[in-house]
Amino acid sequence: MTSQLCPGKMAGPAARSWAGGPVNPFKGQREAAIRWTLRICALISVVGLFLMVAFLLRESLPAWREAGFTNLFAADWNPGRGKYGILIFLVGTMAVSAGGLMLGAPLALATAIYLHAYARPAWRRVIGKGLEVLAGIPSIILGWLGFTTLVPLVRSLAGGTGMGILPASMVLAVMILPTVATIARDSLDAVPESFAEASFSMGATRWQTLRRVIIPTAWPGIAVAMILGLGRALGETMAVAMVIGPATAFPRNLTTPTHTLTTKIMLEMGESTGVHRSSLFAMALVLLALSTLLILLVRLLSRKAVQEFPGGVLTC
Amino acid sequence: MPCEADEEEVRGVKVSREALLEVMEGESDLPPDDEMEGEKDLAQGNKMELSGLSLSYGGKKVLEDISMPIPARSITAVIGPSGCGKSSLLRCLNRMNELVDGARVEGKVYLDGEDVYAPGFDVVGLRRRVGMVFQKPNPFPKSVYENVAYGPRLYGVRQKKVLDRIVEESLRRAALWDEVKDKLGSSALALSGGQQQRLCIARVLAVQPEVILLDEPCSALDPISTQRIEDLLHELKEMYTIVIVTHNMQQAARVSDFTAFITIEEQGSPGRLVEFGETEEVFTNPRKKKTEDYITGRFG
Amino acid sequence: MADRAAGLFFKAAAAVSLAVLAFIIGIILVKGLGTAVRPSFLFGRPQAMKEGGGIGPMFFSSLYLTLLTTLMVVPLGVGAALYLAEFSRDGRLVRLVRWGTESLSSISSVVFGIFGMIFFVIYMRLGYSLLAGALTLTLMNLPTVMRVTEESIRAIPWSYREASLSLGASRWETARRVVLPAALPGITTGAVLTMGRIMGESAALVYTVGIFVRKPPLSPLQPAAPMAANIWHLYTEGALIPDWMRVASGEAAALLVMVLLLNLGAGALAGAIRKKMGILH
Repeated sequence: MTSQLCPGKMAGPAARSWAGGPVNPFKGQREAAIRWTLRICALISVVGLFLMVAFLLRESLPAWREAGFTNLFAADWNPGRGKYGILIFLVGTMAVSAGGLMLGAPLALATAIYLHAYARPAWRRVIGKGLEVLAGIPSIILGWLGFTTLVPLVRSLAGGTGMGILPASMVLAVMILPTVATIARDSLDAVPESFAEASFSMGATRWQTLRRVIIPTAWPGIAVAMILGLGRALGETMAVAMVIGPATAFPRNLTTPTHTLTTKIMLEMGESTGVHRSSLFAMALVLLALSTLLILLVRLLSRKAVQEFPGGVLTC
Repeated sequence: MPCEADEEEVRGVKVSREALLEVMEGESDLPPDDEMEGEKDLAQGNKMELSGLSLSYGGKKVLEDISMPIPARSITAVIGPSGCGKSSLLRCLNRMNELVDGARVEGKVYLDGEDVYAPGFDVVGLRRRVGMVFQKPNPFPKSVYENVAYGPRLYGVRQKKVLDRIVEESLRRAALWDEVKDKLGSSALALSGGQQQRLCIARVLAVQPEVILLDEPCSALDPISTQRIEDLLHELKEMYTIVIVTHNMQQAARVSDFTAFITIEEQGSPGRLVEFGETEEVFTNPRKKKTEDYITGRFG
Repeated sequence: MADRAAGLFFKAAAAVSLAVLAFIIGIILVKGLGTAVRPSFLFGRPQAMKEGGGIGPMFFSSLYLTLLTTLMVVPLGVGAALYLAEFSRDGRLVRLVRWGTESLSSISSVVFGIFGMIFFVIYMRLGYSLLAGALTLTLMNLPTVMRVTEESIRAIPWSYREASLSLGASRWETARRVVLPAALPGITTGAVLTMGRIMGESAALVYTVGIFVRKPPLSPLQPAAPMAANIWHLYTEGALIPDWMRVASGEAAALLVMVLLLNLGAGALAGAIRKKMGILH
């Protein structure tokens, strides 16, 4: 059935002109060299991360060794007398981040819901672009704005210096607004259209559909949005530093100066030595641990979401 | 051998093409026939040959024990129900299936008597000699000119004059020159679907392949564009060995000299070759019952 | 009724978000633009003890640092993304790289800053310099450039690669001649947005580049003072300058305008490239 049909020899290659040149014999080697170059580019981020952790560990070693774990996590900070407790700053970081999230997340979620369910395409584009621009505004500018407008306002309303957890939370709320709003919008958008249609077809209003079907379905994505917002707040330095005080003391209320981990590092790194300096690196490690924890949480959530609903959101 | 019947058909289609062109443009501009006449007398034979070819993707067999010749300077059509692996078969011929993770080929594919799956065989060189046109037209997001010049540039052609000549000649052979000669610099994505597919053919012609594989090249096109491509294939087979995969049996009957029929026993089983022969024979007097059932539409 | 109320509530929330943005941009520009647009300010010499100083060296530092960092981070990030998207199969190495990139992107900029100080400034003996800052910012922005590039590379239809490979191109030839050009609009957007982030960065630069200089830096090994870092200097030590509030406001406005130009220009630039390439979407 095969060769009887067309007997005779195989036809020779056709005459060729321009394409007939020899294939570059070094092509394989060149290809391998390029592959290795690109692989090295890809590995730079990993190498950088390891270097970072290694150098932070090395620099913070004196603090762990000489001050010790209990001293480091105490509430007493007085490097002149060998007290290196970072609890005040840890509490400050937690307080401003939580405050920022409490003020910023509701606004961000409401904006995301508007963009997902109510906005006409033109407004969706305008506000989406606006959120992008907001995300791009340098934190030093937000800090400066907070220092020149927010702090005097708080001072006139609450007295004192006008600095503290309240203005810091307000600045952070603005910073995390675009992060939370865009990610939450994307996870709302990822809910299949058919869910909403099914709900509408049973006579549900738009709000009922949102509340009972779409928001619960998109919930893991919304949670991820808030965690990432929290991560951004934890690490923020300049915007907080310009409105929080600073003062090395637990805040008595929302409008008394205090410190966070980042602001302490920023303000004292330049003028510290020895164990004092080393303890600032220990603070950086604590920050690193906090953000790693958040990343693990995000991973856990998204893995769960993928497992239960391959479309990218989780049905509750 | 493709004999008189086919010549008749060639002429028949050419006549209809001229008529069509007259209707569309008021005149026809066929490439000079004598350009291709000279090569016609070359010895016919098997340009490629498949021997016991099996293909599996990640352990799942897609094709089993396919043996067939691919006669030189003629058109071989591969037909069969969807999912029978005919497109996969085509991709075995230029080793494009290697881009799929977990693809495994057994058996042999000969090109001019050389096994293309032999260790050390130059894949890049193979793809130069065995060009491919895909189901959906896939021009690059570049100008018409750059699309055609892409292959020659890869092979180190840099002189503008040479490139110009290659581009013009390839576009002429693909029967596209007249339509695009005034917009060589504009984006290929602005062309119509049929023009894009002919551009893709021109792009393949520009690397001077010996074999051209076409994977359902007309499935995304309208009837008029389809007709133009079929006419084009008739002209091209004077110089090239052509293999076309199609689900359209009328198309297979119209354009091909040889036909291979591949089918599967049931969903999920590998595709096997049922029959290979001259198109005339396969369609009018099939040797196998299965072929007859498929062709007359009484299949599964 | 509840439905109407909910709709109004969400609409109001979106309005507030937009108002916050307008308020920020408005106040910064109202307070500082008048100062910022004066050539004697934007290109003028800074003063340490008396009034009337400009921000010439800071403006120059910002441009210099942004350019230097972009020249490092974009090629590295595009190379890494190309590896992930075109040259690798999902294996251990790829998982490691993704994990590293993700972790890196979550780290606070002040932590990058002090790492840059101990590693680039002290350990590598670069001193406070543009180069030390640029290297720090390269590491910091690498994840973003990689992510944006990989997304735009993955968005390219598989058929382009197929066509190129079937014409006998190698993987690299396909990447260089087809994939990268087609991904160019996306990569450009990412690169310009990254430039905006670099220009606005301050916390990572205070201890790597410097916060105050009198003359524009010429060599990348000289210390510099980008505008964002200099605003911090004015805030902490500026009281020595009688008109420090005016200088800081003007500098903030100049910085904001530059960042806005980059952010808004990114999309326009990508659109222009798309149009030139004839991509119709």
